Amino acid sequence: MSRPDCSWATAKPYRSDPMGPDLSQVPAQGVAQAAPDRRGTLPRRRSPLLRKAFPYLLLAPAMVYLLAITLYPGLFAIYQSLFVVKFLTWTWTGFGNYSAILQDREFWAALGNTALIGAISLSLQTAIALALAYFAYRDPLIRGWRIVFLMPMLFMPSAVAFIWKLAFNDGRVISDLLGRLGLIEGNLDWLGSIWLARLTLIVADVWQWTPFLFIIFVAALQGQDQEIEEAARLDGASWPAIFWNVSLPMMRPVIVVAVTLRGIDITTMFTNVYVMTQGSPGGATETMSYFIYRQGFRMFNFGYASAASVLMLILTVVIAQTVVKRAFHSGKQ
Amino acid sequence: MATTRKTRGESLLLRYLVLGGWALVCLLPILWFLSVGFRPRTEVITPKPIYWPTFSLDAWHLLMSDWPIALYLRNSVIAVAGSVIIDLVLAIPAAFALARYDFRGREDIGFYILSTRMMAPAIVAVPIFFLFKTLGLLDSVWALMLIYAAINLSLVTWIIRSYMLDIPKELEDAARTDGAGDLTILREIIVPACLPGIITAAVIAAIFAINEFLFTLLIASTSDAYTMSVALANFTGGSDGIIYNAIALVSFIAFVPILILVILIQKHLSRGLTMGAVKG
Repeated sequence: MSRPDCSWATAKPYRSDPMGPDLSQVPAQGVAQAAPDRRGTLPRRRSPLLRKAFPYLLLAPAMVYLLAITLYPGLFAIYQSLFVVKFLTWTWTGFGNYSAILQDREFWAALGNTALIGAISLSLQTAIALALAYFAYRDPLIRGWRIVFLMPMLFMPSAVAFIWKLAFNDGRVISDLLGRLGLIEGNLDWLGSIWLARLTLIVADVWQWTPFLFIIFVAALQGQDQEIEEAARLDGASWPAIFWNVSLPMMRPVIVVAVTLRGIDITTMFTNVYVMTQGSPGGATETMSYFIYRQGFRMFNFGYASAASVLMLILTVVIAQTVVKRAFHSGKQ
Repeated sequence: MATTRKTRGESLLLRYLVLGGWALVCLLPILWFLSVGFRPRTEVITPKPIYWPTFSLDAWHLLMSDWPIALYLRNSVIAVAGSVIIDLVLAIPAAFALARYDFRGREDIGFYILSTRMMAPAIVAVPIFFLFKTLGLLDSVWALMLIYAAINLSLVTWIIRSYMLDIPKELEDAARTDGAGDLTILREIIVPACLPGIITAAVIAAIFAINEFLFTLLIASTSDAYTMSVALANFTGGSDGIIYNAIALVSFIAFVPILILVILIQKHLSRGLTMGAVKG
């Protein structure tokens, strides 16, 4: 990307360009906006300093906004995490919250649950989406009906949580269907067992978000060079072999980006936990986000919640700097 | 050659079995939930689930009489539309700088913007809550607008940047030779040329904003600021328990506009969802 400033000195004015009569007004406004504080000065006469600062000026509003909602809360969380906060009184405790959290069984359980539920859910939806995408991408019939496959993703997450809450728990639909298939007898208490409760969260997440990966994988498969695949087919390779040895390696960067994005969202899982399980039974489905929410907004341990936030932030930064940075660089190639 | 034909034939049957099966997995829960929205309350939670309910507009009447659904819809629309406008105003110049200029720290700034997308809402939930409390913005649509804009800003910037990178440099150079300034070029050439990207970014940001749950839950506490997403979860208390048929109906009211928006940008969806990393 070269510096686009080489032509500031060209004398021909923009508005004499025969691009159409209606443009005669517009560039004049554009110039006025470009240098509102120096009326009558054309932008091409701007100082070298301004020219150098120009990209930063373009970025400044967005950066200020983002810093306000990331840096300020980050610093606030760090500060607040050093206090025991009870309603309006803040009592200094130093690293008290941190040492308490690191010994808090519930904190480690929440971390473990997030990793466990996230990992299972993510691998399931990746596998399903890959298989579906491979079957779907060349099929004109499916292409026309692709929107059907996207529908779960377009439902509000809170509504999806209610769908599955009703299907699993309140409406007993899943139990009934499994009973009709002869797999179980009577009703399963989905919130009564650790793994059944986790399973409901996994099913809800896989159902809603497999479409996300699916549509990305389809696009990746459609974008790749068909001739390589055709050559492999003419050589007599079977379709699973083609998929495994040709298509999959070619779409690897895309898979990495898509799975990384999905992974980020899964680790922040909150809505389904809030609506469906509230962490029960015994905290087996409590995720990190729900832990922070419960400590802060149910038990009003704001200092404690902030300390947990800071720890999660550190984890996020580490993951962002390693996995995600690499993923997006490989995705750009 | 016979073997080739055989494997292809098999894969075709398998293909329609797998895809048809998954289409049912996608559709059946939605259709069933739609049926929940149009059945009487007595047929929602029963000892044995009822698959062929009697048709009823109970939920609709309840919505019309008890729930200020129009208010929630209005809150959603104001907060979401406002946030998308804020995002576009901030993101278009930022994306222009990232896509078209060479300056020190460009990669780092770009990655910093991207990385704000990775922050779990729960991490900033407590500080944001206190921030809005200090500003006196709790329980207001304006707070929701600001927070939705913040959540989606990185996404919008990266999507638009990706589309700007695709615009041929010559287009811009020609205008520059004619003496056009940078902002003129942005407005007259870059923005029109990457309009599909801008629309895609706006639609995806709108969807994420409509879906946002945690912040809305914390900031909104009365119907002054309830949006569709959180109103659902708050329609569950009281002696009536969870009123599923009304929830189902509300979720379909929110579903239809999203469906229409997505159909409009279908071709760009995969590129938008990956923040431009995948060209669909």
